[in-house]
Parts: sequence; C-alpha cells; structure tokens
Amino acid sequence: MDLLDGRLLTIVTFLPLATGLVLLVLLRGLPERVWKIVALASTTLTFLLSLLLWFRYDATRPGHQFVEHVAWLPNWGIHYFVGIDGMSLLLVVLTTFLMPLVLLAAWNEQRKQARTFLFMNLFLETGMLGAFVSLNLFQFYVFWEVMLVPMYFIIGIWGGQRRVYAAVKFFLFTMVGSLLMLIAMIVLYGLHQEQFGAVSFDLVRVPGGGVPGLLETAVPLAGQAVWWKTQPWLFAAFALAFGIKVPMVPFHTWLPDAHVEAPTSGSVILAGVLLKMGTYGFVRFALPLFPIAAEQAAPLIFALALIGILYGALVAMVQTDIKKLVAYSSVAHLGFVMLGIFALNEEGLEGSILQMVNHGLSTGALFLLVGMVYERRHTRQISAFGGIAKPMPVFALLFGIVAMSSIGLPGLNGFVGEFLILAGAFVVNPWVGTAAAFGVVLAAAYLLWAYRRMFFGPVEEPENRALIDLDWRERFVILAVVVPIFWIGVNPNPFLRRLDASVSDLLHQMETRKAAALQTAPPVQAAVSALGVELAEGAVR
Amino acid sequence: MNAPQLDMAAIAPLAFAAFGALFVLLGEVWLTRRRTNEHFINAALSVLSISFLGLSVYCAGAAFSDGTTRVFDPANPMLSLDRFAAYSIALIGIASLLICFASISYLPQVGINHGEYYALLLLSTAGMFLLVGATDLMALFLGLELMSIPLYVMAGFDRRNLRSNESAFKYFLVGSFASAILLYGIALVYGVTGSLGFDAIRAGFPPGNPIGIVGLGLLVVGFAFKVASAPFHQWAPDVYEGAPTSVTAYMAITVKVAAFAALLRLLTQAFGPVTASLSDLFWVLAALTIVVGNVMAVIQTNLKRLLAYSSIAHAGYLLIGFATGTVEGYGAVLFYLLVYVFTNLGAFAVLMALAQGGRDCDTLDDLAGLARQRPGLAALLTLFALSLAGIPGTAGFVAKFFVFESAVASGQTVLAIIGVLGSVVSFYYYLRLPVQMYMSEAATETPRRHAATGELLVLAVCAVVVLFLGFFPSHAPGVLGAVRALEWARSSVAMLY
Repeated sequence: MDLLDGRLLTIVTFLPLATGLVLLVLLRGLPERVWKIVALASTTLTFLLSLLLWFRYDATRPGHQFVEHVAWLPNWGIHYFVGIDGMSLLLVVLTTFLMPLVLLAAWNEQRKQARTFLFMNLFLETGMLGAFVSLNLFQFYVFWEVMLVPMYFIIGIWGGQRRVYAAVKFFLFTMVGSLLMLIAMIVLYGLHQEQFGAVSFDLVRVPGGGVPGLLETAVPLAGQAVWWKTQPWLFAAFALAFGIKVPMVPFHTWLPDAHVEAPTSGSVILAGVLLKMGTYGFVRFALPLFPIAAEQAAPLIFALALIGILYGALVAMVQTDIKKLVAYSSVAHLGFVMLGIFALNEEGLEGSILQMVNHGLSTGALFLLVGMVYERRHTRQISAFGGIAKPMPVFALLFGIVAMSSIGLPGLNGFVGEFLILAGAFVVNPWVGTAAAFGVVLAAAYLLWAYRRMFFGPVEEPENRALIDLDWRERFVILAVVVPIFWIGVNPNPFLRRLDASVSDLLHQMETRKAAALQTAPPVQAAVSALGVELAEGAVR
Repeated sequence: MNAPQLDMAAIAPLAFAAFGALFVLLGEVWLTRRRTNEHFINAALSVLSISFLGLSVYCAGAAFSDGTTRVFDPANPMLSLDRFAAYSIALIGIASLLICFASISYLPQVGINHGEYYALLLLSTAGMFLLVGATDLMALFLGLELMSIPLYVMAGFDRRNLRSNESAFKYFLVGSFASAILLYGIALVYGVTGSLGFDAIRAGFPPGNPIGIVGLGLLVVGFAFKVASAPFHQWAPDVYEGAPTSVTAYMAITVKVAAFAALLRLLTQAFGPVTASLSDLFWVLAALTIVVGNVMAVIQTNLKRLLAYSSIAHAGYLLIGFATGTVEGYGAVLFYLLVYVFTNLGAFAVLMALAQGGRDCDTLDDLAGLARQRPGLAALLTLFALSLAGIPGTAGFVAKFFVFESAVASGQTVLAIIGVLGSVVSFYYYLRLPVQMYMSEAATETPRRHAATGELLVLAVCAVVVLFLGFFPSHAPGVLGAVRALEWARSSVAMLY
C-alpha cells in the first residue's frame, strides 16, 4: 500500500484515461469482448481505489486531504494541485461507482466504433474526477472543459435522431459560461497578484507552503474598483458557468435535448455526475470566493430555483416520452439542490450535497431502467406501454423502488436530502420552503402517474406481452444502485459525518471573508460619502 | 576608403534560402535534361529545398541560443540577426520546410508538378527572413516585396484552374495596394524624422506630430492588409480558396508570422513610446477582426474559406496582444504565432493528404465519413480543430489563455471578453469538422488514398507539438525540460526593448 500513499488521488483520477489510451493504441487487434472487459476492470479498480479514499478519509479534520502539489507552470502560479474534502469525496465516489455500472449496462449493445466508445467513457471519467479533485483554478478549468469533448462525441456519434443538434447545443451552451468564467479567473488571479505580490491559481494555501491561496484574496465590493474587478460581476461570471451546467432555468434548454438524444450511458453520466459539476462549482468556488455577492444573489437564485422546481415538475408531467420526463425531473431536482446551497446554512448545504449524490443514484438508475426497456421495445412513448408489470415483474419492482427514491419516500435516500434542504430553506424563508415542498408533491404526481400508465392496467399492445424480464446482468446493475438508495435512506450518518467538518468549514470561511471584506469597505465608502458631502456643500454655496 | 566590415553570419539564414532558390532553379534544368521521371524531379527538388531551409533554421537556432545581436553592416544598420529575428526565422523556416515535405506528394496529386514551385517558395521565405530581421524601413519594404511577389505567382500556380488565376490576380491587386499604402506611410515617417533606420526614427520622432502619427497609422494599415485584419480582410477568403492547398497553407501560416513579427519589431524598436497612442486603433482592429472572422466563418461551406475566416479570427486574437502594448502581451503574441503555425499546418496537411486525382479536398462534404475510411486522419484533424478552437489540453488553449491573461493584466478586460465570446462562436464552426467526419456518412464511396510519408511526418510533428505545448508550454518534465517555449517567446520580445 506504500505505493499508493501520497498519490492515491492521482491514480484514481488518471487510471481510466490510461486504460483508455492503452485500449486505443495497444489493444487494437483484440476482439470487442476483451476491450469491454478491460474497460470494466479498470473502472471497477478505480471504484475500489476510491473506496480506499472513503475509508481513509478523516472526517474529523476540516480542510483537504490526500493533497498532492506539483509545479506545472510555476511562473504563472499554475500547479498540479489535488486534494479532497468531504464534499468532493462524496462526488468522487459517486462518479467511480456509476461508471462501471454504466459500462456493464451497455454490455450487450451493438454499436459502431465500440473501442472509441469505451475510450470516450474512460476519458470522460478522468475529466470528471479531475474536476472534482482540483484545487488549482486553472487545472479545474482544464478538466472542466476537457470533459466536454468526450461527452460531445458520446452524444454526437452514438446518440439518437437529432444527436448532432443536441451535441452541438450542449457544447456551445456550456462554453459560453465557461469562457466568461475563465476571464473572471484571470481577473481574480490579477487581484491576488496585486494584493500579495505573488502569482498563484491555487485555491488554498499549500499545506506548509508560503503563497496565500486565491481564497485569501479580498475581492472589492461594487463601487470599490472597476466594474470587472468587483464581486457582483465576478460572481456573475462564475454563476453563469455553473448555472448553465446545473442547469438553472432559464439556461436549461440544452438539457432535455442532450439527455434524450444521448445513448443510455451518456444520459446516466450526464444526469448522474455532469450536472453536479455545476452545483459543486457553486459550493467549491463561487460561494467561498465571493461570499457577499453570493448572499446578495441568493434571493434571485432562490426564485430561479423555485421556478425550476415547479416548472420542471409541471413540464415533466405532460411529457409523453419517459426519457424526457426523467430529463425534466432533473431540472426540478437540481432546483432543490440550488435551493439548499443558497440557504447558506449547514442543513441546506449538507442536504444539497447529499441530494447531489441521491439524484445521481436515482436519476441515473431511472435512465438505466428506461434504457433497458427501450432496448426491448425500441420506443420510449409512455402510451406504448401499459400493464408491463405482468410480463416484467422484477423490472416493475425495481422501477418502483427507484421512482420512490426519486420522489423522496421516507426510508429511501431522496427523503433525507430533500428534508434537510427544506429544513434549511424554511429557516431562511418559510414561504420559499412551503412552495418548494409543493414541488415534492408534484414529483410524486408525475412519477406515480407515469408509473401507473406504464406498469398497471391491461396489457394492450401485443408486443408488450412478449417482453422478457430483466436478466441477471441487468438486475445486478440496478440492485447495485438500490443498495445505497436504501442505505442512505436508513442510515445517512456515514455520509453526513463526512460532510460535517467540510460544510461548517465552508460556512466559517464565508463568514470570515465577509467580515474582512466589510471591514475594508468603510474607508472607501467614507471617502466617497465625504466627497459627496463636499460636493453637496459646494452646490449649496 | 575602407571596405565595410560586414558580418556574414547575420545574413546566413537569408543567404541559404536565397541560394537555395537559385540552386533549385538550376537543379530543375539539370534534372529535366537527364531524367524524365517527374516524381523523382519533384522529390529531389523538394529535398534540396528542405536541406537549404534546414541550414537556415540551424543558423537561426544557433543565433537564438547564442543570444547576441549581429548586425550585417554596423556602419549602416539595416539588417540584424538577434534573438527576436532568430525566433521568427526559425518559426518561418520550420513551417516552410514542413510545407515542402507535405508538397512532395501533394503537387503530383493535383497535377501542378513544376520545379519553380520550390524556387518561388524559397524566394518568398528569403523575403520573410529579410522582413523579420529588418531594422530599416527600406529593408523592411524590400523584404515585404520579396515575400509577396513570389506569392502572387504561387497563388496562380494551378494555371489551368480559373479560380487559381482569380486568386493570383486578386492577391496581386490588393497586395500592391497594401504596399502602396505602406510606402506612403514610410514616406510620411521619413518626412518627419528624416531617417529610415529604426533607431534614428525612435530618436527623432517628434511627439504629437500629426503627420508622423498618420504615417505610423498608414504603416499599421499596410500590415493590417498583409495579415488580413478586418476591415482589410476581404481578399483573404477568395485568395485562400482559389490557391492550391499547399500554397494556401503557406500564405496563411508563414506570411502571418512574418508580418506580425515585423510589425512587432517596428512598433517596439522604431516607435517605442509613440505606440501607446495606437492602443485604441489596435483595440478596434482586434475587436472587429474577431467578430468579422468568427461570424463569417460560421456560414462557410468551403473548407479553405472556413480556414481563411478562421485565420482572420486568429489575427484578431493576435491583435489583442498588440492592443495591450506590454511585454507580456507581445510575448503572448509570439507564443501564439508558434502555436498557430503548428496547429494550422496540421489542419492544412490533413487537407493536403486528402487531395487526390487532381482534386483538392476543399468542401465540408468531402470530409463526410472520413472517420470510418481514415480514422487516423480524422482523429488528427479533430485534434487540430480543437486546438484552433482553444480547448484545454491543446496548445491553442494555452496560447489564447496567455493572450487573454495579458489583456486582463493591462486592463483590457472588455477586449478579452469580446475575444472569448468570439471563441464561443468559433466552436460552432470548428465542431462542424468532427460532425462531418464522425457523425455523417459519405454520399459516394470513393476510396481514399493513403497518406504519403512526407505528409505523415508533417502530421506527426504538428500533432506532437500541439499536444506537448498544450500540457507543457514550459517546465516540461524530464529530458524535455530544456523546451521552454513560453520563455523563449518572452525573452525574444524582451530584447527588443
């Protein structure tokens, strides 16, 4: 195990990509089956190694663990800097957990360019893990954008009818926000350099190192500097990038297209992990870097999150395509997550991060289930089914459990997350909390209604009579997800315990930064108001 | 009267290129007399040109690592070989050399297998070497013309093709017009300073003299024509489209490097402090060029036109560096040029490798289904497209990042924002390449030829450089630790001050 010490995160992050490259370059002549086994083995190994992270993680200690810091472009403060705290730990394990399941679920699918497909999936996994473990802003940006490329190809090559449109839309939407964020990062880097006289893109100080992290930079408030150097604008740039990814209304229109056109594995990863990139970005970067602007923007984000919850649920209700329904339900669920984050208290934040995992599990599983039935019937129209609980009892049962988890039935994972989020939101604004709780009811409505239409009643279509129930491979895939669904539902403590220190640390950090920013504010404001008085006096005279 | 003390080492790269051109011309006559095999003659002439260019690049490399400034005629300084010139010469030389490699199989494929091609290419390259080393307005003008005139001929090299003729004629007309504007600028500057040497101009330029500023403005406009910056860009798409692909590549890549490098030297060495007053002019040029280039590229269906507009957009990003007017900005420009050379060359080399049976591969439809027929070429073209777009992990991203970084650092944040929004638009048209290659099927199944050795070599070099600089623009690990491209670019600029 000595081999792993000190570089475990790097190994976890890059193992998939390394396997992918081997697959692409060395294993060309081998049969397709071997490629699949290699990819599955590699992702499983990655998952096992990430479990090592899970158990070795010291939940009592705030701050980042498993830190690695290597100079990359030291003259510009760009380093290879990785480390995880409780929040990234959960998402890393979620990612590594879903990936082998996705590959297993796609085991029997016949597709063109199978090797490229596996490579793109492995490449994507490295991209996502890299973004979650990055503590250097530049490095984060690299991973954040690089992962668009494999996703673009996964949607564009192996997707449905309108795949090219969906892929390009997905790519462009994400890019608009990202590039503005890049500029904001550079501005922040400039501010840091002005204040400390040293260059750094590192978010935090390296343990035992000298250069202060970007988190220690005092970001001017509105009116204290040129507009593009002030908190509201910088926050807006970050929020736009992350908000598009989440996606928040009104930037959500890429999501239904991308989810519906993507192949099953793409949808699962997109919903399960990629969307979390946005919410994670808020928690990791936007909140602690610009606490005052974040607090000021909270009402607006609350409003957008609420609209997302209600609008997503209502639109989901009228969908005739089950995959589209699940896609719109993501808009609603992510609205909950955003609500919890911007409650800016411990319950809300912990609930949100847990809900990111929950959504990854339940929506991921829903997409997997939809994919399984699509493989059999080659349609996703809800009206084409009806009564399929009879020929497919196991499928119906598993679908039911996962749907309940997505609705938030007590005893399952969704309940814990939503409860915490609502508790957090109630503290801040009871009205918002109430309205959001209504969203839970709507979720029950659209999912249960769709469930009834698909599974109960008489079997009308002759094709449905001949449907074959899930085989062992498929059962294993779904059961693997159902286990944590129950586990988090019954005993969320191992998860919440790992979040406690990190979340309270984040809130503490925001408080101190806010206080510091407000302390520096008075002189400038005083000067401005003094000037104002003088001018006014002059005018009177 | 004493004989002037001339430093021959200062003109070594130039001399090798110019002599190379003469040797190629003689060699062709000699070879045609003896052998009738066209392909052999073509290959032999290409190898001859490559060797001469290799010698030029070697001299430039030696001068670069040596770091001293050599002036050809110290008594009358018109041409010097310093770190900056060496960097630019090496870049131009390597680009020309790689184009020669790729041309070996390209020229016969489109049926324009004539020996003069290499002679013209070498002559034009010699002109560029002169241009980037010039420290006198007269030498600068000579270099510019020596660069341009062979290019006019090369653009019309496919002489049976009407479009190629149109291309040459258009390029000739616009080029002459640009030269005239430049000359007028030179005349005005000479009028107010009484001298043509850069140092003398710097010493004698009367601040605030409107005629001098107009002269400087005209010089900049002349260069804006050469680098195809909006609103002086209209010629580029037509010329790029009509010329044979190898010539288009040569025009798009080397001319841009030479003209930008010469402009950079002119602004820093000859005009120094006055340059600051041009910041707004460059701001407008950059913003306009980025917007026009990117927006117009979106509606193109011809690959060469698309790459032409893309190169206009890239000129816009480069002009951001000029708008900053700082050492960091100019350093970022020089590094951007390095990346630009290899990325564009790679993209054009793929197109050259796809030309066959007397036909260029020049529409988007020609790429359809490429991923199935030639997966390697498709993957490479995707890589170069992503680098042109500026996706992290490729050199294109690093280059853009440092340009934007310098812009923000000098307070030009709005320009940087225009730049990134332009990039978003550019993703749309760069993504059309992988869409065609991976997500569409070919309408007709014409078997594609295998890429020749020369083309593969060029592609390999470009791909390696694009990926390597994407991850390690400086501070590479291990044995490659000596490769510090960013520092090279920056130190080359720093010595101009």
